[in-house]
Amino acid sequence: MAKYLGIDRICNFWRTIKASGGILNSLRLTFRVDELRDGTLVGVDKYGNKYYENNEYIFSRNRWVIYSEKVNLDYDGSQVPAEWYGWLHYKTDLIPTKDPSRPKHKWIADHKPNLSGTNEAYIPYTTTKPKIIPWKPPQ
Amino acid sequence: MLRLPVIKLTAGLQNGRISVARLHTTSSKLQQELVEVFIDDKPVQVPPGTTVLQAAAKVGVEIPRFCYHERLAVAGNCRMCLVEIEKQIKPVAACAMPVMKGWRVKTNSDLTRKAREGVMEFLLVNHPLDCPICDQGGECDLQDQSMAFGSDRSRFVDINYTGKRAVEDKDIGPLIKTIMTRCIHCTRCIRFASEVAGIDDLGTTGRGNDMQVGTYVEKMFLSELSGNIIDLCPVGALTSKPYAFVARPWETRRTDSIDVLDAVGSNIVISHRTNEVLRILPRVNEEINEEWLSDKARFSCDGLKRQRLITPMIKINGNLEAVEWEDALVATARAIQNIAPNKCAGIAGKLVDAEALVALKDLVNRLGGEILATEQSFPKEGAGIDLRSNYLLNNTIAAVEEADVVLLIGTNPRYEAPLVNTRLRKGYIHGEQTIGLIGPNVDLTYDYEHLGQSADIVTQLRNGTHPFSNTLKSAKKPLIILGVDQLMRKDGAKILSETQLLAQTLGENTKAPEEWKVLNILHTRASQVAALDVGYSSTIEEVKEQQPKVLFLLGADDANIKREDFPNTCIIYIGSHGDEGASIADVILPGAAYTEKVATYVNTEGRSQQTCAAITPPGMARPDWKIIRALSEICGVRLPYDNLAEVRSRLEEIAPHLVRYGAVESANYFAQALELSKQVPGSLSSDPLEVKQETLDQFFMTDAISRASQTMAKCVQAVIKQRESNL
Repeated sequence: MAKYLGIDRICNFWRTIKASGGILNSLRLTFRVDELRDGTLVGVDKYGNKYYENNEYIFSRNRWVIYSEKVNLDYDGSQVPAEWYGWLHYKTDLIPTKDPSRPKHKWIADHKPNLSGTNEAYIPYTTTKPKIIPWKPPQ
Repeated sequence: MLRLPVIKLTAGLQNGRISVARLHTTSSKLQQELVEVFIDDKPVQVPPGTTVLQAAAKVGVEIPRFCYHERLAVAGNCRMCLVEIEKQIKPVAACAMPVMKGWRVKTNSDLTRKAREGVMEFLLVNHPLDCPICDQGGECDLQDQSMAFGSDRSRFVDINYTGKRAVEDKDIGPLIKTIMTRCIHCTRCIRFASEVAGIDDLGTTGRGNDMQVGTYVEKMFLSELSGNIIDLCPVGALTSKPYAFVARPWETRRTDSIDVLDAVGSNIVISHRTNEVLRILPRVNEEINEEWLSDKARFSCDGLKRQRLITPMIKINGNLEAVEWEDALVATARAIQNIAPNKCAGIAGKLVDAEALVALKDLVNRLGGEILATEQSFPKEGAGIDLRSNYLLNNTIAAVEEADVVLLIGTNPRYEAPLVNTRLRKGYIHGEQTIGLIGPNVDLTYDYEHLGQSADIVTQLRNGTHPFSNTLKSAKKPLIILGVDQLMRKDGAKILSETQLLAQTLGENTKAPEEWKVLNILHTRASQVAALDVGYSSTIEEVKEQQPKVLFLLGADDANIKREDFPNTCIIYIGSHGDEGASIADVILPGAAYTEKVATYVNTEGRSQQTCAAITPPGMARPDWKIIRALSEICGVRLPYDNLAEVRSRLEEIAPHLVRYGAVESANYFAQALELSKQVPGSLSSDPLEVKQETLDQFFMTDAISRASQTMAKCVQAVIKQRESNL
C-alpha cells in the first residue's frame, strides 16, 4: 500500500540521508559526488576510500566507491588501488580482505594514482636532436 | 681522360699538353669562314670545328646528353646525343661530330627518336630501379631524359631475372658516396679528375658489361675539388655522403649567396629547409668559380650548426654565463664608460663582412680609439694599404688562365684558393702556361719549375742572374702571384717591394695590353680585402703594445691573440662560433654566420659581392652590425644608421666600390706604389718562404666554421689515414 502511495520513497530518502550522516553531510556529499546512495560499507582501503554495496540497485550500479575526504573534489578513477579494482569492476565478488588466494608479496609496489595535471606528472623528454649545438664555454 | 692521351699523341706536344682543344681562342680570321648548317631546317652560322651539339645549342635546340660536358673533354661514349643527318646512313653522335658545310641535322626525326629510345633502353636495362631511395631523385638526368626521350613502354618483362648488372661500391673518402650499380659510364668524373682536379686516380677497368669506374686500388679521392664530381654525375652513382637521405630537391628552398671560407668569393646556392642549411652547391659565375666549388666551401656547412654562440655571455666569477642581451650590452657599456682616448681597439677576423667592419670602425673611432687591426697584418712601410694595387689580385681571377708565364711567390694556390688553381691548371693544359714557384715544393696538380725557397730569388729574377728570368722576361703576358702570408714576415714589406720592382720590370719588357697587370696578391681570408679597403691598418702587435682597456674581437679567432697578452683588458667577442676568441673573452655577443645575414664581402680581386640570408641566426644571435649599433646606443655614441640601406650608404661614403655588387673595382697607381715601396728600409731575410697549407689535411680546417665541422674533421682523418697507407 505504501508502495502505491509512494511513501516508501520518502522512507528511502530519509534512510539515505541518515546513512549519509545527516542533512548537512548529505548536502556535502551530493556536492562532491553528485549522488546520494544508501549502501553497506564493505571496506575501506588504506588511502581512505570507502567501498559500498547495495544489491537493490541494478548490476553495474550496485558497487561504488566514495573517495577519501582528503582528496575532496580532486578524485579520480585511478585512485582506486589495484586490490579493490577487481571487486569494483566485478572481476571478483570477494573483497581483498576476504580473499585467501590474493598474492601477498613484500615487493608489491604501493599503488600510485595517475599524476597527470599535477606537478609530478610524467613529461617525456624530446628524442630529436637539436638543430643547433651551442658552444659550451670551457670551465 | 679517355681522349686526352690520344690528343697528346696526335698533337705530339712537349710535356704531353693539349693545344688542340683550345677553348677560348676565336680569331677574327675564323669569323669570316663561317659554315652554314641547318638544325631542324633553321640555318645557323658557326665556325668550322664546332660540333653538331654546340651548333644546335646556338639555335636553342638542346640535344640530350649524358657524357658531354662543356668544361670537359669530349668523350662521346654515352650515345644519347645521336642525331640524324640528312644523306647519312647512320645517326651520328652530336657531341663529337664537327659540322660540315650545308649539313641538315634533324634532331627530332623518327630515326633520331628511335635511336634515343634505343640508347635509353640499353641504359635502363642495367640501371637499378631504386629511384625512390636514390639521393639523385628529382635532379637526375637519367630520370628527366627517360621521361622526355625514352620509350613510353618497357620491353623489360623479366622482373625476376637475377642477372641484372651489379657492381661493388667503392670507398673514395668521407665526402662522396658511391653506388656504382647506378653508374652509366659517362666518365665525366674521370675526365673531371684528370683534367680539372689533376688527380689521375679515377679510371675504368673492364670492357662492355664488365666495365667499372673506380680507383683501381681502394683509395681516397684526394682532391680539394672532389665534391664537383657529385654535381657532374648525371645519375645517382656519386652522391654527397653528408647529404645522404637528408632531403629531396623539391622540399628545399634555395638562396643564392657567396662563399666566405676562402678569399675567392665563389658563388653558391644554399639549400635549406625549416631554418636549417642542408647543403651548399656552386652557382655558375664565369668570372670567379666557373661552376666548380672547393670541398671546404661545399661540405663545411655542418659547421654552421655546431659550436654556435646562441646567447650573450658574461664572465661571472671567472666563468662565462649565459645572460640576456640587455645585461650583456649594459655590462659592455659599463666597461666602455669613461674610457680614455686611444684605449679602445678592435681586431677583425677571417669571416667578417664589410658592414660589421665599418660599424666597428665607426664605434671604435667614436670612443677615441684608432687601432683597428686584422689578424693578418699588412706591412705599413711603403704605400701600405693606401693604394689598393698593393693588396689586390689586380689581374682578376679569370685572366689568370690567359697568362703565359706565371710566377708564384710563397703561395700554394691549390689550398689557399683552389679555384684560382683550377685557372692555373687550365692555363697549363690548354694554354701552354709555364709556371714557376718560389716556396716549398708542393703538389700543385701540374708541373711547375721549382725555383727555390729563398726570398732572394725575386731579386735574382729581376737582375737576370736566375735561369728562370729569361723565361719570365720573354713572356708576353707575365703574371706574378704573391701569397699574402709572406707579407706577415718581418721582411714582408721588402718582399712586396721586391715583387713590385720585378713586376714593373716585366711590365715594361712585355707587350701585354695596357690593362694587363703583372702584380697580384692572393689573399686567403674573405674579410681581408674589405678590411683593408675600409682602413684596418694596424697589426696585432700594435694592439698588444697599446694594451687597450677594451678590445673588440670581431670574429677574431687567431691563435696569436692570447689572454696573457691582455691582462687588464676587457675583451668583447662578437662572432658566430665559440672558438679561440670566445674562450678568452669577458663578454660574448653572438653574431650571425654568413648564411644568416645579408652582408658584403670583397674577394681577392676586389670584387664586391653580397651574401643573402638563407636562414635566421640561431637563438639570440643577431647580425654583427646590429649588435655594434645597439652597443653604440647604450654607450652614448649612437651610430647614425638604423637599417641595412643606411649602413650601406655609410659603406658607400667610405668606399663606393663596396656597394657596386658583382663588379670588380680595379686598382691603379702601380707606379706610385712602387715609388713609395722603394723607400722601404731593410733587406730580405734568409729564412725560406713557408706556406701554411702544404698538404691536403691542412686545407680542410682553417676557420671557425670549418673547425666546427665534423665532415671536415673526417676529411682530415681520412687524408692522414690515406697518407699512412702508402697507396
